[in-house]
Amino acid sequence: MKRAFWVLLLGAASSLPAQVTDKQLLQPPGADWLNYNGSYNTERHSELKQITLKNVNSLVSKWVYHVPGGGGLQCVPVVVDGVMYVTQPNEIFALDGRSGRMIWHYQHILPHAPDREGPNRGAAVFENKVYFTTTDAFLIALNASNGNVLWQSKIAESSEGYHSPAAPLVAKGKIMVGVTYGDRGLNGFLDAFDAKTGEHLWRFNSIPGPGEPHHDSWGGDSWLHAGGATWLTGSYDPELGLLYWGIGNPSPDFNGDVRPGDNLYSDSIVALDIDTGKLKWYFQFTPHDVMDWDGAELPVLVNAPFEGKPRKLMVQADRNGFYYVLDRETGKFLHGNRFAHELNWATGLTPEGRPITVPGVEPTLTGAKVCPSSIGATNWMSPTYDPQTKLIYFVALEGCGFATKNTEKFRPGGFQYRAGGDVLLRDDTWKVYVRALDLTTGKEVWNRERIGSGSLGGGLLSTEGGVIFSGEINGEFVALDPATGKSVWHFNTGQTINAQPVTYMAHGKQYVAIASGADIFGFTLFEPELVAVK
Amino acid sequence: MMIRAAAFPVFVLWAVSLASGQAPRLKNPLGKGPDVVAAGHTIYNRTCTACHGVDGGEGERAPALVGDRRFFRLSENSIFETIKGGISGTAMPPFSGALPDDDIWRIVVFIRAMRGSASETDVPGNVELGKAVFTGQGGCLKCHMLNGQGGSIGPDMSNIGAQVTLQHLRQALSQEEPIPPGYRPIKVVTNKGETVEGIAKNEDGFSVQILDYHDKLHLFDTTELREVTHGKVSLMPHNYDKVLTPEQYQDLVAMLAKQVTVNLPTKREGEGEVGR
Repeated sequence: MKRAFWVLLLGAASSLPAQVTDKQLLQPPGADWLNYNGSYNTERHSELKQITLKNVNSLVSKWVYHVPGGGGLQCVPVVVDGVMYVTQPNEIFALDGRSGRMIWHYQHILPHAPDREGPNRGAAVFENKVYFTTTDAFLIALNASNGNVLWQSKIAESSEGYHSPAAPLVAKGKIMVGVTYGDRGLNGFLDAFDAKTGEHLWRFNSIPGPGEPHHDSWGGDSWLHAGGATWLTGSYDPELGLLYWGIGNPSPDFNGDVRPGDNLYSDSIVALDIDTGKLKWYFQFTPHDVMDWDGAELPVLVNAPFEGKPRKLMVQADRNGFYYVLDRETGKFLHGNRFAHELNWATGLTPEGRPITVPGVEPTLTGAKVCPSSIGATNWMSPTYDPQTKLIYFVALEGCGFATKNTEKFRPGGFQYRAGGDVLLRDDTWKVYVRALDLTTGKEVWNRERIGSGSLGGGLLSTEGGVIFSGEINGEFVALDPATGKSVWHFNTGQTINAQPVTYMAHGKQYVAIASGADIFGFTLFEPELVAVK
Repeated sequence: MMIRAAAFPVFVLWAVSLASGQAPRLKNPLGKGPDVVAAGHTIYNRTCTACHGVDGGEGERAPALVGDRRFFRLSENSIFETIKGGISGTAMPPFSGALPDDDIWRIVVFIRAMRGSASETDVPGNVELGKAVFTGQGGCLKCHMLNGQGGSIGPDMSNIGAQVTLQHLRQALSQEEPIPPGYRPIKVVTNKGETVEGIAKNEDGFSVQILDYHDKLHLFDTTELREVTHGKVSLMPHNYDKVLTPEQYQDLVAMLAKQVTVNLPTKREGEGEVGR
């Protein structure tokens, strides 16, 4: 008992544990990297400038953390005061951001065999808590300093097939979480919970039910197994109090005959009131999609002049091959243009931003060539906006698919409900690029091929130091010149990169980190090591 | 991956048992519910403790039935056959005449429960009073968390009933135990003269990650430290069997044994027949 008393006495002295405040969450990414997208506007542009275009050639790998049992990691590290939180499905690790050494680890034990394993895209932080979601659709809050579970809230029924892969977003004392799978006929939604208590606050249904606006965009009973997953993290405008969330494809993916109509709010961006979850506006990129072109790509919020007037913009390079500029207060379509070189399904956009489709270029019973393929002209790889160059950068895939449809029926329990598919036509045109567009005109400024990459790989990060970081599927972690796209540094991680890079400060030094394969890599500028003299 | 990893040894065992042409297996007719465990506990206390010790912990004349030994009879059948037939050449007698088969099965179920998690065995005591001891006189909440409430310097107790055996639970409360990884007390003085005390969540020759007594993490490169002192003993008091009344102690043990938020995966029947 004596020792317990001693501990209690020490507890009487004061110093507070690390707390992440609302105010910090409103800042652009600087010393900390506080959520999946770095900040609410999803520009993924860090203020850090210790690493510059001039010195980036002396960047070295400082540490590697091997995630036990890991593989195909897609998590984006979150960093607070030098403590890094990384996830793999149903597990979360706190690491020392300077050394890569583990501080604590928590595993969510599944009551059944893990039949749906992943992925998990990362954690969120607020006050003294760190949050992540699980493959059996729980939101878990842990004490950030030691990983003790504070509460857990059920998001959805995993027995129906639901799973929650996206990193949660914390804003205004609420925590927003999404679900998947839209390829299994499960209707998506976005849930908000009280960040302190885990109490459920509101739900936005991706697919409007009977009596709700736009329910008639679904013929017959097709709305019952309609998809619209919320499988990536959204953005937030604190001034407007609006969340912006990308909604996934309609189900079944490739056969639209069973779901006549525009199929709202699939393949859309929805703007939701953060207090109520009520829809303020929506914009649908691909009405009645039959190519699995989720509208889930990250909505990037930029304040910039448009046609001479300062505007609150939302821009998105969409999986369907078009680039969009919207007014994020109203959802008004301001500009759109094709960014994909290989695109045959539409000839352009109407003044309202609706695609002008080419008849017959869609999945058929015998098959048809559709460009882009169902992978899309881009996908979940994070884009970045650099206010210094005024360019938006993203990962683009050029290539077509030979698409077919069939009459597969919905089966309850989380089974595939795609009713078709496409064979990827990996011919000479099949290539992956990092592409830079002018923010408001969408004009291509440069286009750098990811040579040797057959798929999209990891996403992008821009920094005030004038460097873009880019993770390639073949394992190369690369630094690019934001003005030209020329590579200025690279490191072979030896594994497939499918995650997004981050940057942060620890003990006065800027680090860049990314998940690759089963490992997390931490990079910093080279300096001769100090050795402890015993 | 996990499914495949689990299925492989099961398949091998099945193939081996087919090849060796074993006799048909006996079958426990009673199940393994809490009433069977409790009845087995009573018969065990009457029959087995003289040699094997209380709760199978270890006796003066026979080995422990639970603990960390590498070789145990694991399956219900092999334990049943041993009790019934004894082990020739040892002090273990056959109980075939002394106990009816059903009572032997009850003991078997109790022994297996003791080897399982604390929550699976039969622990008498008042859970509510045990909780009062935990939050009150025992002072446990200062360091441990229970269902989201409490301190952070010690391990979370919310799932402890599923994580440890009853024997481990008792030992932790009443015996000096080795300090588990991530809980070693540490005090460092930085080159600037700042002192930080807490537990080392992790440490190597080049860095140390400390959780201080105010729930704050400190991350150091060892080049920044002038002095590093490690605590030699765990912060966990281990005299609860002495400072609490026997009833309070039993209630505390019973309450902890019941703390289960999720059960950990268990071995299948027959898996690892003669130990690992």
